Amino acid sequence: MKRHLPWILPLVTGALLISAWYGLKRAFHIESFVLPAPDEILTAAWRERHALLSAVWLTAQGALLGFLAAVSVGFGLSMFLAFSIRIKQSFYPYILILQMTPVIILAPIFVLWLGQGLPSIVAITFMICFFPVVANTTMGFISVERNLQELFVMCNATRGQEIRYLRIPGAMPYFLTGVKIAGTLAPIGAITGDFLAGSAQNGVGGIGFMTVTYFSQLKTPALFATGMTACLLGFLFVFGVNYLHWFLLHQWHDSLVRKE
Amino acid sequence: MSNPPLVRLEHTGKRFGAGAPVLEDINLEVARGEFISFIGPSGCGKSTLLRLIAGLTPVTSGNIMVDGMTPQNAREELFFVFQDANLLPWRRVSANVELPMMLRGDHFVKRQERVSAMLELVGLSAAANKFPWQLSGGMKMRVSIARALSVAPHILLLDEPFGALDEMTRDQLNEDLLGIRARDPFTAFFVTHSVAEAVFLSTRIIVLSANPGRVHRVVPVPFPYPRPPELRESPEFLRLLAETSHELRAVRH
Repeated sequence: MKRHLPWILPLVTGALLISAWYGLKRAFHIESFVLPAPDEILTAAWRERHALLSAVWLTAQGALLGFLAAVSVGFGLSMFLAFSIRIKQSFYPYILILQMTPVIILAPIFVLWLGQGLPSIVAITFMICFFPVVANTTMGFISVERNLQELFVMCNATRGQEIRYLRIPGAMPYFLTGVKIAGTLAPIGAITGDFLAGSAQNGVGGIGFMTVTYFSQLKTPALFATGMTACLLGFLFVFGVNYLHWFLLHQWHDSLVRKE
Repeated sequence: MSNPPLVRLEHTGKRFGAGAPVLEDINLEVARGEFISFIGPSGCGKSTLLRLIAGLTPVTSGNIMVDGMTPQNAREELFFVFQDANLLPWRRVSANVELPMMLRGDHFVKRQERVSAMLELVGLSAAANKFPWQLSGGMKMRVSIARALSVAPHILLLDEPFGALDEMTRDQLNEDLLGIRARDPFTAFFVTHSVAEAVFLSTRIIVLSANPGRVHRVVPVPFPYPRPPELRESPEFLRLLAETSHELRAVRH
């Protein structure tokens, strides 16, 4: 019994929550356009499956491209920032300013520059994802143990060797923490981007666009179904980045190795 | 004909920034093949002295010559064994041993041969594919020593390498270190807190006084190599141990 608890407990909680949901709806006579019942949401999801699937596909593209851009640009920029303390002092405030400017204000600017649609969505996702990558990775490049640096000095290592064999692997755990955060933000970024700068081709947009559409039509169950789909996309990304984190670190990093 | 000393320290002094001197007027000539131990109260600058000889930090007065060169230029002759084993956690044992040879640009095949030879020398052939976290403290230190010896340095600088280990492991590693040195001769500079370790290993023990660090006394150790473990129980050994401890107490006001 005890070893089945980890999956029985959440199922029990889920059943209780759903019962409470139905109970509440009935007790207060809540209309379906305000609070749809779970079965209505599932029905709506099935009915709208083609629209939702192409929406989630579109949003996934934006999220993935923005995420990849943020991770690679973030990594490169961190290396540049970590190269010298003067470089970091010169540039870091402006990266912070960029991060502090709300995306909701940046979005129309991107639309002006890049037009409605995927390029703007990617840019918005990038803006949301890239700061955690930069902040963490820069920290990783800078915090290399002094003893290890001296080992490389004793080996007459070149600057390039030190970066390749010491700084990059040493920064990996930090970098991957940034990647993990970016991975959880990417779908949110792409949906926000789609909401603010999306465009509908052939009547189908991304998740953000569908949200606007269903809301304006008061198709509340479909709106909830859209939320469910977004949630699935989020889990997919989280699973992806967690796997990457595990894959690259499980053999050596303290946080993942199994201590006997 | 007398050989020139391999390492020569002349009026060597060190201070950090505008602070009080850490080391002052150190004079020492070390011949090829010697095993020199530095011992002294904490804060006497013995680790700093080692770092000066390694060229990891510059002298602020006097000078140090290693085989006729400045320490910075003599890096190819020197290697440093750090206080903790200082292994790269993401590299397997064999890759850690290989690192200095790889950075130096040695050929791959030569590197592989040397790695197996070094691991055999320190008795860790079976652990070649393990990661550092899978090893005990003593094993990590052996890897560190194998890594240092992989580039066949003429001079090995050891900064309290066995300080964190239990006495049994330490004794074992002391014996192993001498065994390795018999096959693969190097000149050693060894910083330690343990008088017994210094007496067992060294040809000369340099007792340093603190504030600032100066040479208080040089204790020659007359025992020939190879030194068997039983040496530790002999009356001569114990007498020298007592004498050195006495000198150490004299500088520990």
